[in-house]
Formats: sequence, C-alpha cells, structure tokens
Amino acid sequence: MSPALLKRRVTTVALSAIAVVIFLMSVFPVYWMVNSSFLPNNAIRGPEPHFWPDEFTWRNYEVVLGEGGRAPFLPALGTSITVTLLTVMIALLFAFLAALAVTRFRFRGRKSFILAILVIQMIPAEAMIVSTFRVLDGWQLLNTVAGLTFVYVATVLPFTIWTLRGFVNGVPIDLEEAAMIDGCTRTQAFWKITFPLLAPGLVATGVFAFIQAWNEFLLALVVMSRPEMMTLPVWLRTFQQATQTTNWAAIMAGSTLMAIPVIIFFLVVQGRMTSGLVAGAVKG
Amino acid sequence: MRKLSIVALAAASALALAGCATEAPVAEEVTGAEIRVWLVGTDTPQEARDYLVETFAEENPGNTLVIEEQAWGGLVDKLTTNLSGSDSPDVVEVGNTQAAAFTSAGAFLDLSDEYEALGGDDLLPGFVEAGSYDGAFYAAPYYSGARVVFYDTAMYEAAGLSVPTTLDEYISNGVALAEANPGVSGIYFPGQDWYNALPYIWENGGEIATFENGEWVPGFSTPESIAGLEQIQNVMTNASAAPEDGNEAEAQVPYCAGQIAQLSAPSWFKWSILAPADADAPGCPDKEESLGVFALPGMDGGAAAVFAGGSNIAVSANSAYPELATSALAIMLSEEYQTILGGAGLVPALTSLGDTIGTDATAQAISAAASNAKLTPASPNWAEVEAAGVLQDFFVKIAQGGDVATLAAEVDARIGEILNP
Amino acid sequence: MALAPSGMRTPAPPPVDGGRPDSAAAPRPRRRRRPLTPIMLLVPTTIVLLAIIGWPLLQLVIISFQEFGRPQVFGAPAPFVGLDNYADVLTDSAFWAVLSRSFLFAAVNVVLTMTLGTLVAVLMMRLTRFFRLLVSIGLLLAWAMPALTAVVVWGWMFDTQFGVINYLLSQLPGVDMIGHSWLIEPLSFFAVATVIITWQSVPFVAFTIYAGLTQVPGEVLEAAQLDGAGGLARFRLIVFPYLKSIFIVVTILQVIWDLRVFTQIYALQGIGGIREQTSTIGVYIFQTSLGTGDFGAGGAIAVILVIIMMSISIYYVRKSIQEETL
Repeated sequence: MSPALLKRRVTTVALSAIAVVIFLMSVFPVYWMVNSSFLPNNAIRGPEPHFWPDEFTWRNYEVVLGEGGRAPFLPALGTSITVTLLTVMIALLFAFLAALAVTRFRFRGRKSFILAILVIQMIPAEAMIVSTFRVLDGWQLLNTVAGLTFVYVATVLPFTIWTLRGFVNGVPIDLEEAAMIDGCTRTQAFWKITFPLLAPGLVATGVFAFIQAWNEFLLALVVMSRPEMMTLPVWLRTFQQATQTTNWAAIMAGSTLMAIPVIIFFLVVQGRMTSGLVAGAVKG
Repeated sequence: MRKLSIVALAAASALALAGCATEAPVAEEVTGAEIRVWLVGTDTPQEARDYLVETFAEENPGNTLVIEEQAWGGLVDKLTTNLSGSDSPDVVEVGNTQAAAFTSAGAFLDLSDEYEALGGDDLLPGFVEAGSYDGAFYAAPYYSGARVVFYDTAMYEAAGLSVPTTLDEYISNGVALAEANPGVSGIYFPGQDWYNALPYIWENGGEIATFENGEWVPGFSTPESIAGLEQIQNVMTNASAAPEDGNEAEAQVPYCAGQIAQLSAPSWFKWSILAPADADAPGCPDKEESLGVFALPGMDGGAAAVFAGGSNIAVSANSAYPELATSALAIMLSEEYQTILGGAGLVPALTSLGDTIGTDATAQAISAAASNAKLTPASPNWAEVEAAGVLQDFFVKIAQGGDVATLAAEVDARIGEILNP
Repeated sequence: MALAPSGMRTPAPPPVDGGRPDSAAAPRPRRRRRPLTPIMLLVPTTIVLLAIIGWPLLQLVIISFQEFGRPQVFGAPAPFVGLDNYADVLTDSAFWAVLSRSFLFAAVNVVLTMTLGTLVAVLMMRLTRFFRLLVSIGLLLAWAMPALTAVVVWGWMFDTQFGVINYLLSQLPGVDMIGHSWLIEPLSFFAVATVIITWQSVPFVAFTIYAGLTQVPGEVLEAAQLDGAGGLARFRLIVFPYLKSIFIVVTILQVIWDLRVFTQIYALQGIGGIREQTSTIGVYIFQTSLGTGDFGAGGAIAVILVIIMMSISIYYVRKSIQEETL
C-alpha cells in the first residue's frame, strides 16, 4: 500500500470515527427520550438509571393514543401537519420572490427592506403576544387554521428571506443571463434556472421553517383556544397536571411521536435535494 | 391583609343583601346557546363533569354546556388573551393564586349579587378573599387542596419516635431521623419549596406582608418571622438531604427510593406514591404499609396554618350569555356537585361539606389542615413576586446557609418595592 | 486556480464568471429597466409582514409609552405616561445586570455554535455517504426534539440526586458526584445552559453551511481539500468567500437568537439555581410582560433591546449591504 493511499485510509477512518462521536452526542438525549417512553413512569428516574428499556412497556403509547378523557392525538396531529406544511410552502414561495427582488434588482427602498427584515427578527415574541392576538381577533381568525398559518408565515418569513438571500447570492447571475440569451423570459430564467439551483438552501430553510412551526407553543396556545383545534405542542402540555404526578413517561412517548413527522419530512426533502438537480447545473 | 379581607367580605355581603331575593335567573329568551366551561387539568372527576352537563341541560332546556379541558401550563397567558377576545369562554377555572391578576383587571363578571345564593359564609373564606377585589366578589371558590405531612412509619418505629404534636417536635423528629439514617431526609425540604416554608413563618406569628394604612408592609424581618426562618434553616441544613436549589415536584421519586422519612406535600401526593404498578403513572404501592399521614402540627399543638392550593371559578366579563354562565357556575357550587369533588379527595368549596372527603386518617389530616389554611397576600401585584421567583431565590439562599437577618431584610425591600409600586 | 478573491462580491464563481471586470457590482443598467418587478415580488411578503408584525409592533411601541397592565387588556383606558416606562427600566440596576449577562452569554454561545457547526459541515463534505447520513440523522434528531422535552431530558441528565451524569461520573474511582448541584452556581448554570443551547443550534448551522458548501463548485472544493500544510488557509482563502454571505447571515441570526434565548433558561430555573443571578433578557421580558402583566414596561424593554441590537449591528449591516455581500 502506498503511503498516500494509507494516509487517505487513515484519514477516512478517523473522520468516520469523529462522525460516530458526533452522532452519539447528538442522539444521546433523544435516545434517553425514546428509552423513557418505553419504561413505566416510576422507572424513568431513580438512584439506578435504566440505560435501556429493561422493563419494556407499550403502555405509555396506549395512554397517549387512547381516548381516555384526554385530548385526542389524531386531530391535533392533523391540525399540526396542515398548519406546518402550509406555512412551509407559503413561506418558501414568498421568501423566494422577496429574495430575488433584493438580490437581483436595485431599487429604492431595498436597503430599508433588508434592514426591516433584520430588525423584525430582533423583536422579542413574548412582548407581542397580546397585540398579535387582537389583530387575529379583529379578523375573526381565532381558532382557524388560516389564522395560525398566517401568523407562522409572518414569524418565519423574515428568517427565510434573510437566509435564502444568502443562497440566491450564491447562484451566478450569469446562468440566468445565459438562459435569457437562449430565449427564456426573466421569469422563466428564475423558475427554471435559479429555483432548482437553490434546492440546498430551500431544504435548509424549509426544514427550519418546518421545525419552527411544528414546535411553536405560545402562539398556538393562545390562538387555538378550542380543544378541537389544538396543535401537538399544546396537546403535549395536557399531560402536566396540578393534582397528580406528571406522567413523564407519557410525555416522552408523545414527544417521540411528535419527532417522527419531522424526520419523515427531512428524509423526503433530502431525497429530492440529492436526486441530482444541483450537481450538474452548477458545473454545466 | 386582615383588614382588607373584612372590608371585602362586608362589602360583598352588603351587595348580596341589596340584591337579594332574585331567583336564579332563568334565561327564558335564550335558546340554542352553547356555554363553554374551561376546566383546567384532569382534576375534576368525570362524574362531576357529567353531572354538570346533564344538570345544565335540564335546568336550561334548549341550551347546551360544553367542557373544554385546558392545561395548567401557559394558563395565565391563555386567559389574559382569550378572556379579552370576542370568542371568550363563559366560565373559567383559575388557580387561586392567579385569581387576583384577573379580578383586579375586570376580566370577570361581578358576582356580588350571587354571593349568598352561591353559599355565602359557607364558602371557603381564604378563597373568597382571593376571588374578591375592591369590595366586589368576582371568583367563587371551586375546590381546595391541603398540605399534610406524609411519613415513613417504619423509620419512625426504628427510631422510637411518636407522631409529633407540636412544630418543634416535628422538627426535632426530623433531625433525629436524618441522623439515624444517613442519606435520608428527616424532613424533605428542597430550597425552592416556598409554599412549605410559609407555615413556619405563620406559626411563629409572622406574615409575608400586611396591609396597613393603605400600604403593604413586608414582614420577613419581624422578630417573629426571623424565628420561623431560623427554624427553616435548621430543617434545611440539619434534617433535609434534598437539593438546596431543587423544587418540590416529583418528590415521589426520592420517597419511593426510601430517601425520605417525612415531607409536607399536597394531599394528592398519597396517590402518586400508592398508584398501582399498572396505573398510567405507577408509584411504589409496596410502601403502603409504612405510609403514615398527619396534619402539620402548630407551635402550640393543633393544626398549623398551611398554604392552601386550589382553584377559583368565575364568569367571563365578555360572556355572551352571562345569566346562563352564572347558572352553570351555580351548579358547580351546588351541594351535589361539591359532594362529588369531596368524594374524589378534593376539599369542597363549601366548608359544611368538609366531611365528604372521608373519615380515614388521610381525610382527617386533610380536614384538619384545611381548617387552618392560609393564602398569600391578596394584592394584584403579588403575581409579580411569584413571576420573578423572589421567594424561591430567598429560600434557596436560606438553604445554602446564608445569614437569615440579612436575607430577610433584602427580600422585604424587594417585596415592598413590588407590592407598593 | 489562484483565485484569492479580489473584490468583495462573494458569489460569482470564476469558472463561469469569466473574469468580468465590473464585479464590484455597480448596479447594471439593465436591472433598472423595469422598477415595477421587484416591487411586485415583494408584495406578498410586505402584506403579511405589515399585517401580522407591523401592526402589532406599532401597538407595542404605543403601549411602551402608556401605563398598560391587565386592566387595560380588558378595556380600561390606558393613560400616556411619556417616557416613564423607559426611565423605570433604564434606571433599574437589575436590567443592566441582566443585559450584560445576556451579551456575555450570547457571545460565548455564538462563537461555540458557529465553530462547531462549521466543523461539522466541513466534516460532512468529506464523509462517505453512509456516515454523512448518520451525522445528518443525528443532528436532525437533536433538532427535531420538542423544546419542552429537550430541556426536561437535559434536566434529568444533570439532576442533582438522580442525574445520569452524576451517576456516570461517580462510577469513576474516587469520585462521588451524587448530590452535586450543577445549577446552583451561576457559572455552572450557564455552562449547562450553553451545552443545551449549543446542542440544539449546531444542527441548524451545520445544515445551512453544508448546504452552502454543496453550492460551491466541485473543483474549488477539490483544490481546497488537497492534503498538506495550509489546509485551514486554503479553506479560508478559497472556500470561505463562497460561503461568506451565508456565514454572515447565520452568525447574525445566532446572535439575535442567543440574545433572546428564553425557553431553556426559564425551564432550567424551574429545576434549580437562583433566578436573580441567572435571568437573561428574554426571561426578564417574559417576567415583566406576561408574568407580571406590566405590558407597558415589557414593551419598553423590547424597544430598548431592539434599539441596542440595531445600533450594534447597523454599522456592520450597512457596510455589508453597500458591499452587497449580504
């Protein structure tokens, strides 16, 4: 084996080892959550930790999915999925258009717009809850999917624009120009050239928007006050009681269920992204 | 505080007299209305819920009542926004220490006229005070929970101790148990657990704050309170092995691990320990044999003044059907309904129903404790003391062994600032 | 390919750009031809933001000049008090303590998160497909964990009596950590908070920078990946210019988020520690507005915070916009 080859082998092994370490560190708390979700509530804390579900039980999942007087899981799942997917799609579309405007054009007010986008993200959300609630109330949008989606789009939009801008900057203008020389209109050039090239950025921002909307608690709590309209994070809190021991094992089971759609979403978009839209075009 | 409460009660009953003899309003014109009742958590038993829905439908033909279950987490945020909105619920449950924030804000319908009809002097006095503001009665008591002492009878026997009859005995038992069992809390007392610290202050004659000449006067640095604080520090350092900065939640974990000889906890804590292995949240039922209970003894015997948790219930000022909502609230304070709550181990809102919680040792301890329960100062600004965690910080520092007099002076200054803005 | 970037204009990769002389980005004449288009592109965003952010924001600013508590939420008249709320906040020593604590804490977290995130992203570029997927899934799982659950689980791990961390450390010979409180000392409290926050923010940074790296043309990466001395310098000189835009964006976002951090600190305070010594600005605003019901003061703090953040970032942001790196 040549020294160079050997060196490369060693590097690969070392990097893979680091990858495994990173994986383990990221995953340990998640593992602990899943582990606890398969243990009875009285076994998840105590002087001797249970490192694996040695008192395995499905009971927590039965409790979480059962109807037993508590808010049911499936309607909350439905609301959450609807609101989140709508939020991601609308936010990405609007943000793509806005990012184009501020990167590909020079116009009066451009800088102010970019600054405004930045400043909006600095506003502490906790301070705006009451005003936001009143705005929605005024439009009769309380307890509606449209209302919550509207708020979420507004919440993630500044971030999405801000990040997508960085990615649009990374796509050479010359590609669009080349397409226009080939007879595309500018709109076609944006859609056929720039949009696909942004796939990695759209995935990164899309996953972010998804997780934001999926896990948001305070606005959902306040806007969706009727039990049949609650989202999953609000549903999760119904397991905390005042006059009973909190059933943490059930909360862990609920949290595990809540994490699954995020992973599915990620795998789907990840698959789209790596399916080759990117690589060829850039080098082309 | 005492002065304020007398004024409030006097005014409430005066108003009630003025508006007496009005029959429970039957809303004949209204039909097809839906009354939304927000109950918090699963604490209200299913039997009571069914009773409420059915009775309401019988008394108000053509109208329906729906119960919407809310969670304790984020409740104040949700009430602050939704009660002020156009889609307000009609009847809401609220934690007793949270009530003042809403009664003082005009969020609730004035129920002074209903005071007598709802039970009058039979209603839990501390909770009436918590639900009153500026001489008007807004939020009725719903149920209460008392704090009692749970102890390990086996450890008591091994140490040759008997159930204490005074607070000093309770403390000396705790210290003795901690010495006899290394690693075990003679009295489990984590630093953040300020609710359980209050009885020591009250029993020594101290107060958190008193209302004098139109101003709140904080009372932690009075000689009486200092004596109580020194007892607390003694318990925390010599009897307790709990984390100095820990909180009181989840105390069943160390209890089930055999690390607690005595602790003061809400009465429902018993069910956390005894929950069978096939329950949703199992405890350690094998400890049933050795689980004893008594009401925290006072300085001079009898039951100590303990902090009372619980709920109030009120009608939203924005309710579209205030008469119907009030009639729903009246059902929840009826003897039948409150008897169901008592059967579920909650202290009923009507003191005359105190014996409905049963006659066993736990029930007796609960009744004894509830008879002498107290609440925090009824100031609308009290919420800020809790929001800022002033008392948690204070008792954590006491647990760390800080100088009691200095800390008490500091916390008094802080509380004075907040209560008298 | 000696392409140490001469101009500040990040994106144009030279193989395609072909040595365009005007890459210092003077607005090209053609782009001014139809000024209506960019406005139309901004219409949807502007409507949403004005309605859901702009209008409540205006109310927030107005409230900050009023005496606005819970009674005002329920319709009581709100008297204007001028700058009283601002004066109260600015003369409160607790506010300044909280503010400086927040800045220090944010600085540490941003540096740590950005460094780790970038390293992980670079690592992912060099991994085989399987290990890349492994790391992606690991990061995603950490990211996807509901916030409440994450803090609860971390809280258990650092628990004084039954925490798995104390348990494992105590397995080492001669170590007895059972009963050690990780939260009671402010410094230790913030170390725990840093672990939790970094753990949850690295995935976003790593994914975004990795996405940026995949946009960099392959031959540039190959040039940077050549083994040998100066690998870091090559990364800085060759790859970084492509990423600069994304890097700045992500850093600014991290600064904003870490300054405003709320959930983790608030939840940790419930588990242990002393609130007075550990509150950050996000917790402070929550305590003042929703906790206490003093929305006027809460609004004033929010406005002050935004002004402070703006004045810090404005110089840099303006410069960047001028240079079009943003």
